Amino acid sequence: MIENTKCECGHQNRVGTVLCESCGKPLDDRGNSKELLEMRYDGVARRSQRVNPNFIDRIWNFFSSVKVAVYLIIFTLVGAMLGTIFEQESNFINFDPSTFYKNKYGQIGEIYYKLGLSHTYESWWFVLLLVMIGASLVICSLDRVLPLYKALSKQRIPKHMQFLTRQKVVYQGPVVEEGSDWVERAVKPLRKKGYRVHTEKGALLAEKQRFSRWGPYIIHIGLIIFLLAVLFRGLPGLHYDQHYWFPEGEETKIPGTNLYLENEKFRVEYYSEDEMSEAFRKTGKVVPKLFETKAVLYECTADCDDPSKEPQLKEVKRHAIQVNDPLTYKGLRVYQFDFDLTPKLRSVQPVLVNKVTGEQYGKFKLEMVNPQQEFKLGPYTLELKNKFLDFSLNEQGQPISKSKDPNAPAFLFVVKGPDLPEEGSQFIYFPKQIDKERFQQDAINEKLGGLQNKLELDVQSMEDVDIIASSSYLNIRIDRAMPFVWLGLGIVMLGLIMSFYWQHRRIWLRIDEGILTLGAHTTKNWFGMRREVSSFLSTMGIEADEKSLENGGE
Amino acid sequence: MGKARRPVQIIVLLCIVVLGAYAINSAVLGRGNDKPVVGSKSPAVKLLGLDGKVHTLDEYKGKAIVINFWATWCTYCVNEMPALQQQWEKWRDSGVIVLGINTGEDKMTVTNFTQQLGTDFPILFDTDNEAVRDYGVVPMPTTFFVDKKGKIASIQQGELNLKTLNEQIKQLVQTEG
Repeated sequence: MIENTKCECGHQNRVGTVLCESCGKPLDDRGNSKELLEMRYDGVARRSQRVNPNFIDRIWNFFSSVKVAVYLIIFTLVGAMLGTIFEQESNFINFDPSTFYKNKYGQIGEIYYKLGLSHTYESWWFVLLLVMIGASLVICSLDRVLPLYKALSKQRIPKHMQFLTRQKVVYQGPVVEEGSDWVERAVKPLRKKGYRVHTEKGALLAEKQRFSRWGPYIIHIGLIIFLLAVLFRGLPGLHYDQHYWFPEGEETKIPGTNLYLENEKFRVEYYSEDEMSEAFRKTGKVVPKLFETKAVLYECTADCDDPSKEPQLKEVKRHAIQVNDPLTYKGLRVYQFDFDLTPKLRSVQPVLVNKVTGEQYGKFKLEMVNPQQEFKLGPYTLELKNKFLDFSLNEQGQPISKSKDPNAPAFLFVVKGPDLPEEGSQFIYFPKQIDKERFQQDAINEKLGGLQNKLELDVQSMEDVDIIASSSYLNIRIDRAMPFVWLGLGIVMLGLIMSFYWQHRRIWLRIDEGILTLGAHTTKNWFGMRREVSSFLSTMGIEADEKSLENGGE
Repeated sequence: MGKARRPVQIIVLLCIVVLGAYAINSAVLGRGNDKPVVGSKSPAVKLLGLDGKVHTLDEYKGKAIVINFWATWCTYCVNEMPALQQQWEKWRDSGVIVLGINTGEDKMTVTNFTQQLGTDFPILFDTDNEAVRDYGVVPMPTTFFVDKKGKIASIQQGELNLKTLNEQIKQLVQTEG
């Protein structure tokens, strides 16, 4: 069936049009209804309304429906609620989700995990719901905003009589003067009220604050930007969230970036006894009051990508990181997360001493990592043959290192010099006094060649010991999507303000044979509209009570 | 105007489908913290070798690679070293590379160790733990078997099963490059 959509004014309207696009005559009935007009989208057809919708139109119609959008939002909210029942996997750094939920919550936890609710916000169905809301926002807007724009940008001034009498605010009454004169006289007071006035042959259109009609679509644009930012946060380079140890006094590379962070100095302060409450003191816990990493951030400027060369660094930022006071640099944030106060040896500077004569042969620096391999001290030469940072003996009695950390460092030298064999003599050295005794340095050296009676390596003061006093555990975050989230929310706010603080008000009037017919429409605040029309009429010499302007309809 | 609408509709819907599929895909896959899994491409590395030269995986393009993450202080790593050396000697002529990535130790320690054990397959230094991070290595040793196309054929966490090591390498060799 082909619907006749041609109006009596001669305008051909599109399928789904409620009010003639040209003269405003209602097309929905034969003209005997007194019901108030449906003014949504100014009565123009939404784009999706078609005579014979095909497959694509059906998808389009589905997403353009506000009802569908409401359901999508409800489903998303319910889904988001499910994710708040138990903690999400993403809250943890290192843990095994397959056992965690069962151990903590029992059977329900197990089911929660099996259903995939432990990662609700990363699950396919949740993301799909967000995508569908996005689709709905885009299609809803396209479907309505373009027709509305066209309808509002070319409004015909003389409107059909029915269009005027079926508005919510209506006045009808006689005027004494010539119609065009009256209309001419009406322009000034309306302009004074802030309206933009257009007249044409005894008809008038006054309009103000039309821009507020675009508010909802601005909100949509903001929401779309927000959704895109949230959905594409996972793109490479947009998001980074890692935890690393930063030993004090070291420049540590932040993996995956060309940045290096130096932990210059770490300090921690604890609550003193009298700062704690009685109850807390009894628990015997030591609670840190403040922990702070004095950090320096470097950017690599050259030789960054070549592991055979030392990278050249340039300082870019310096900040004392405290909890909730991160270092920030170009979207990168470094948060204080944890610390470890176990001291680690970095280097020692022992002196070679001749045990027989008491002669000293000078200091040398022995680094735990990447040590120099040969030292010349007086008449002696020390060649570093092997080192064990965490010394231990394996089942076969061979020396091994238990870890890469210098917990019990041991250095094996070959010493050459006066009174020693040509090929040198082996000598093991434990820089830490406690290890020297525990592993019986002298007994080992006795077996190796008896050098312990002739020579000795001696650290003479604490100044000759370089220690990494602590390590700071920092959380490195990059979230380049955040500016877009804020931008989106800012646009949403703008749209909200536009549509809440202003109203699109329009007054149409026409004079036919001495009878004035006035209709007025606003998007909200009908009381204000009524008052404005009433005061306008009174300046024109017509007294009309505000309440009498209300058109009851049927 | 009625005719111009159709392409616009199709373009908008297509954009939504493509962006939506991408968003779902990246959300679901992103959960694994980008750790390589069996079937994914082996992440690129650029590391300093024991020989003092810079090495990348691209050098071994078209060859099957056994990438072993190890350290001298890790007993299981030490245990499996001779087997790796043996397999390296056996398969190197068939285009198999055994690559040892040492995690965070210095040159002296590694040199002493390899000399003591007599291994001569290529060793790379992962000083900043970049490769450890890119490969998502948690326990040591972890061994990745990479086929000739650069795809990870299998991942072995913990000490290698010496009985199946030979079989695994054999399979790598037999896969078409």
